[in-house]
Amino acid sequence: MRKFLLLVVILAVATFGIAFGTTIHVLVWDDVMSQAVQTLIPQFEQTTGINVVFERVPSGNPILTKEAVGVTPTQSSYDLIALDEPFVPKFASAGLILNYNDWPEGNVYKKIDLNSGVILPTVFDAAKFAGNIWGMPINGNLYVWMTNELMLDNPTYQKEFKAQYGYDLQVPQNFTQLLDMAKFFHDKGLYGFAPFTLRAEGSTCEAVWMFSSFGTGIIGLENGKYVVTLNKEDAIKAMQYYSQLLQYSPPGANSMGHPERIAAFSSGKVFTMFQWPALIPNSENPNDSMVAGKIAFSVPPAGPAATASVRGCWVLAIPSASQNKAAAAEFAYWWASKDVQQKLASMGMASVREDVLMNPDLIAKYPWYKAMAESMKYAVSRPRFVDYAELSSIVQKYWLAGVTGTMKPEDAVNGMIQEINNLLKTYNG
Amino acid sequence: MDENKRRRRGFPPSLYFILPATLTVGIIVAFPLFYAFFMSLFNWPLVGAQRTFIGLGNYLSMFEDNEFINSVLRQVGVVVIAVPIELIIGFFVAILFDRKFPGSKILRSLVLLPAFVLPVLSGLTWRLMLAPQYGPLTYLMQIMGFPNQAWLANPQLAYATVIIQDVWRMWPFMFAFIYGGLMNVPKELIEAAKIDGSGFWNTILKILLPVLEPTIAIAVMFRIVDILRIFPEVYVMTGGGPGDATMLFSLYIQEQAFSFFNIGYASAMSMLLLAVSIVIAIFLAKNVFEANES
Amino acid sequence: MKKKTIIRYILIVAIFVITILEIAPIILIILNSFKTDKEIWFGNPFSFFIPTLNSYHNVISSTTFTHGLLISLIVGVLVTIISVMLGALAAYGLTRFKFRGRNVIAYSMLSSRMIPQLALMVPFYMLFRTFGMLDMTPSLVIAYISFNIPYAIWMLLPFFASVPKSFEEAATIDGASRNQIFWRIVLPLAVPGLSVASIFVFINSWNEFLYALILTGSKDQTAPIAIMGYLGEYTPKWGEISAAGMIMLIPAFIIALFMQKYVIEGLSIGGVKG
Repeated sequence: MRKFLLLVVILAVATFGIAFGTTIHVLVWDDVMSQAVQTLIPQFEQTTGINVVFERVPSGNPILTKEAVGVTPTQSSYDLIALDEPFVPKFASAGLILNYNDWPEGNVYKKIDLNSGVILPTVFDAAKFAGNIWGMPINGNLYVWMTNELMLDNPTYQKEFKAQYGYDLQVPQNFTQLLDMAKFFHDKGLYGFAPFTLRAEGSTCEAVWMFSSFGTGIIGLENGKYVVTLNKEDAIKAMQYYSQLLQYSPPGANSMGHPERIAAFSSGKVFTMFQWPALIPNSENPNDSMVAGKIAFSVPPAGPAATASVRGCWVLAIPSASQNKAAAAEFAYWWASKDVQQKLASMGMASVREDVLMNPDLIAKYPWYKAMAESMKYAVSRPRFVDYAELSSIVQKYWLAGVTGTMKPEDAVNGMIQEINNLLKTYNG
Repeated sequence: MDENKRRRRGFPPSLYFILPATLTVGIIVAFPLFYAFFMSLFNWPLVGAQRTFIGLGNYLSMFEDNEFINSVLRQVGVVVIAVPIELIIGFFVAILFDRKFPGSKILRSLVLLPAFVLPVLSGLTWRLMLAPQYGPLTYLMQIMGFPNQAWLANPQLAYATVIIQDVWRMWPFMFAFIYGGLMNVPKELIEAAKIDGSGFWNTILKILLPVLEPTIAIAVMFRIVDILRIFPEVYVMTGGGPGDATMLFSLYIQEQAFSFFNIGYASAMSMLLLAVSIVIAIFLAKNVFEANES
Repeated sequence: MKKKTIIRYILIVAIFVITILEIAPIILIILNSFKTDKEIWFGNPFSFFIPTLNSYHNVISSTTFTHGLLISLIVGVLVTIISVMLGALAAYGLTRFKFRGRNVIAYSMLSSRMIPQLALMVPFYMLFRTFGMLDMTPSLVIAYISFNIPYAIWMLLPFFASVPKSFEEAATIDGASRNQIFWRIVLPLAVPGLSVASIFVFINSWNEFLYALILTGSKDQTAPIAIMGYLGEYTPKWGEISAAGMIMLIPAFIIALFMQKYVIEGLSIGGVKG
């Protein structure tokens, strides 16, 4: 009798163990948002009984390396990974991650419907490749435009600008205004604009922003093969325009990264520029910035062909080889739930949900949320290509050469097209 | 007595000393090293498509890869300029420190600090110091009459800064080595030289250098091997830019391995780096090791 | 006489000047660790500021970082002890004995030091994953000693080579065994070399990033990985990174100071300098 009872107990525990003892391994980037999420995890564990091993790794090469090495078609060290959106094509085409349609429905936390508008389609595009969605974007990260209100509202500047240019000084609505205002402030001994010109992904983003605003893409699919779609005239115009902006930028504009641009803007010397939402708090912190509370947020100015806001979301993806897909999906839905997103947004983090971004209380506290929600309508992707890193490297190299004057814009554009063609030839086979 | 006993049993005493280290390293490194070489024979994408065997293909394409060649040249430039400077500074500072004075112990430890600093932090600090307008170094140079410019935005200056950063960080390494070696120089030798009326430079050339040769050779060897792999400090300082000005070989390998995921190609380049390092090292070490016969 | 004293004072002043110049950037890091990011980037670097402990507070309350320090310390100490011990044994063996394959062993040890970590990252990952040893401290120790033992061997070779054989010969005549000679006579004489080797092996392990990144997970992260978290996706948190960097320098500085003591002690025991 005793042995029988023991067996029953063991079986019961085993069953409960299987049902409730699931542990998932989650790999995410390391920053304020993921650190905040980590503090909220106990709530998830309690309501679902799923254990979470939450690993934070610095973004960029470190996390990409771990994902590349840890996830194979047959074996995966992780059940949920955060992919930087340009790398979704590579992982998706290798069959490494699960199509969003195949994601399990959630138990406690429900799956977010693609068409519900909770996450805007233009944001879900971050996980798109070859016509399918391969994961769930988890942060709303895209270009927001900042303008220095102290300079904007200065009556002397307003009068002089109107006198010189014939219209009111305002948040630049288009590229003509942007250039006029940049020149105006430069002539006053200040700076009109702060670019991003480091040999890094940020420059590819600037290139894509400029190209899209002037009406050209970079590559596209034609009959199942990738071709260069870059329009030479538009590209050259884009480069020429940007290099003019560089003339009105602070010293070191030829090699300016985020720390330098943030410092320049926060010191109150730069009139207007783009910024990633994750970085805006740096300029809104009174400890760190002279323009805290004095920034006007808007969508980027319209180029001759379009308004473009470059998007750069993290995408949560489930490796195909994961043994705990349901639990992993549950965690992703929890992270994207209104409750969690609201908590994160109230701490200043870029939410991916439209309903959270448009919450009036939050907007009062974080004015750029409204600009983010509006920018989402103009979101553009960087090229969706499997060998994205190589493509980005080529674009960066020639874009920077063209705008800094190392190469003539025509030569830079030609060089870019030629190298991209080589790359595509290798890829198309 | 014990030694003879052991010899009779056929167990040479030398093995007792050598085996633990050799076996440990051998066992740990064997599989990974062979696997790395194995990977270099493939066109091996870390993510995605199937790997294809291409034999020596990677090695051959290296020499047609202009970016590879240029990155190697830039790296060699850094090595050839930085290491001798580090050696010279380290040598003379070691001689300078070789005397008694109050606080010598603390100063010796302080001067070593740059060699202990996390490379990433070193790169970031130099970037901060040279920031336009507010970097301390930029500020100082403005006072000295230089224009306010972004030093790291100029290709040649950025390259020079990479070298300067490394010299700053690692001449204390040479210093530590040579200083340790100086400790082992018999005082009698120097006393005798002084009595003979030998001047400063003479003492250095005829007495110190020959005695310190093994130490210097090994220090230089270590430095060259390590500087061939310099990475985090350059990456955070310039990212390889402006343009390609500071895209050193070590950065190029990283880019191939973990941005482009061409792990096969990167392995091949690593094998090449290994071969070159071995040649340089053996060349430098030969004299030290084999002179030991006496 | 007077000239000699003047020269001596000039030289000592030179020493102080050199030291201060050399550690100037480090002083900058120290200052930055007490400033807000705003002051770091656009305060006049030479102006007066009110120090704040904010950065240190953030860094120390980060369990990721403090845990990372602990792991780095354990790994560093273990790796140093093992590498220097085995390295000293091997270096002694290589300098004192002649046998076939001596050169081969010596040069292959050297070569394994030369292997770029990048080349072995992926193979090591696969090896440890197969044995289920990812994210464990022993795995890091194993990976680190693979390149630190050869490093220690070759660092110690010149030091062992310069220990005069006369001491050992005298001891052999007195009936000492090889073992005793090594531990009681030669090792104490090689203390300067052991100190230098220990410091740099420790630093190799303390600052190492690549293997730590690939072989550790959430449980076993080392300090350098934790610090990279302050690097931020776009822009570093300068105050925190400076504070964390300074905290990381402390053990190294202490070890350097500590080792100095043994360098001096070793000299008086060994009587090398007469």
